[in-house]
Amino acid sequence: MPSYVYRGQQINISDADTEYKGYFEAAAEHRLVVKKCLDCGLLRGEPGPGCPWCTSLHWEWNQVSGKGTIYSYQIVAHTVVPSFRDWAPFAIVLVELDEQSGQPDQYDGLRITANLVDESMEPEKEENVAIGKRVEVAFLDGEDGFTLPQFRLIDEPPKGTVWLHQL
Amino acid sequence: MNTSLRGKYCIAGVGETEFSRGSNRTTRAMGAEAIRNAMNDAGLKPEDVDGMLSYHGGDSTPSTSIMYDLGLRPNFYMDCSGGGSSTEALVGLAMGAIEAGMADTVAIFRSMNGYSQMRIGGTGVRAASPITGIDLLKRPYGMISAVQQFSFTFTRHMMEYGVKNEDLAHIKVAHSNHASNNPKALMKQRVTVEDVMNSRWIIRPVAHLLDCCLETDNATCVIVTSAERARDLKQKPVYILGVQGRGTKPGGDFHYQHGPISRVAGYYVGPRVFELAGVTHDDVDVTGCYDAFTYTALLQFEDYGWCEKGEGKDYVTSGIINLGGRRPNNTSGGHLCEAYTHGMNMVIENVRQLRGTVDDYCPQALEGVHTYDYSEGHCRQVRDAEVSMNMGWGTPAVGSSLIMRR
Ligand SMILES: [Zn+2]
Repeated sequence: MPSYVYRGQQINISDADTEYKGYFEAAAEHRLVVKKCLDCGLLRGEPGPGCPWCTSLHWEWNQVSGKGTIYSYQIVAHTVVPSFRDWAPFAIVLVELDEQSGQPDQYDGLRITANLVDESMEPEKEENVAIGKRVEVAFLDGEDGFTLPQFRLIDEPPKGTVWLHQL
Repeated sequence: MNTSLRGKYCIAGVGETEFSRGSNRTTRAMGAEAIRNAMNDAGLKPEDVDGMLSYHGGDSTPSTSIMYDLGLRPNFYMDCSGGGSSTEALVGLAMGAIEAGMADTVAIFRSMNGYSQMRIGGTGVRAASPITGIDLLKRPYGMISAVQQFSFTFTRHMMEYGVKNEDLAHIKVAHSNHASNNPKALMKQRVTVEDVMNSRWIIRPVAHLLDCCLETDNATCVIVTSAERARDLKQKPVYILGVQGRGTKPGGDFHYQHGPISRVAGYYVGPRVFELAGVTHDDVDVTGCYDAFTYTALLQFEDYGWCEKGEGKDYVTSGIINLGGRRPNNTSGGHLCEAYTHGMNMVIENVRQLRGTVDDYCPQALEGVHTYDYSEGHCRQVRDAEVSMNMGWGTPAVGSSLIMRR
């Protein structure tokens, strides 16, 4: 079983992990993938074994552009994970990918969690974090072969309402 | 919908341990005490309790240990995996077990050293464990605690409906006022909106420290039996009109893939529990709305229909939820101020409210004599409370509800 260490946390990805192993294998090749249903053709944001729309168990990994929009976020001011303390405050974002946005239902989308990071893969400044801003995947390579997909702001007009909290 | 059980079952006894931060004992020792307290409250002997149900997150003691400690021999028991919103659902399962002839009287308990052992906030044991499975897309990003896992829902809600942190603080203020009249409460001091706003941030923009519940060591218990059986017991029965849950949003753990993500499970649970109970919102005198964080209470007030979606800020700042208001919420202080119990303390509180014997500072509280002076250090009994409603929260996607009548 592949085992890694990232920010002091042990990460175990079982060889029998049918959900996440392929996701991280693709990330190590700097490809962001989601699962695609081989029966109805729809993509799904969570890499589960079955299709939420047609129940099919047949799927394949499908590379996506890695571009999307911040759908929601949180700024971690106080973390309970010791190895993240030097990062706080840092942003965790819920990114809606461009593919299949608003389909098949108007509220559906492929939504992925990550940190919002800057050019040097350090936390993006809090004042730059906002719902509606455009982002692109950036791959953070660890020394032991573990690669973590992250997201960075890109210079594109926002999509929909731009919202950030007022303090 | 089968409404034939409406009022056929009741809560006959309630009990808990001290709420502490450092119990210095096992979940087994606490569980035994809470069940024993509930049995004594009901006037039940060991041979009368022939069913046990519990819920846990790998942090409790099995029923099979505690049955020895109290001399019980259940005809039915199950230890279920679950956290918040389990209490209400297990009340329904207890009714089902009795209805099926599997038992006559069922004790439901939750025991947790939620501060000194398996900390509910995610520090210690949880943060140190290896990351596998569905945590792979969360914990590598520093997302582990409940306040974080639910927060995408509420940040989005703030954008869509214009809620401010200050609005949430009013929930803490109300519950702290209530707790100041509760000798059992961990945090009895009254706080102001400014106190909440000035406490340190945990997760922006959704929660300051005082928007978060209190990690607590405790055990709690409620005992379910038939109304017929309860007639011979010590307490006035509190009748179960309707119970639902754990009901879910589409997508379960991955509910944020569907939408609207600012909607919570109460949207689905609420209409069903009201129909089953045969009452309306107007009939309800006191609520127990799960306050893991101030924002979980606000989200549920909206989706259970106490106000329109987006108007929860008006509901919680209007005075309705305060003692002396139209429909006080979490009169014990709830999870924010009494103790974090995974929901059971709010059911226990409503049972006592409906009996009229809330254990406040009124000298004759246990005989049902109250002053209704809601100033600090006095009464917290709701005058003439007849119907209560509990709204349990597991996650944005998971909830349960229980409506009871005196
Ligand atoms: Zn499909």
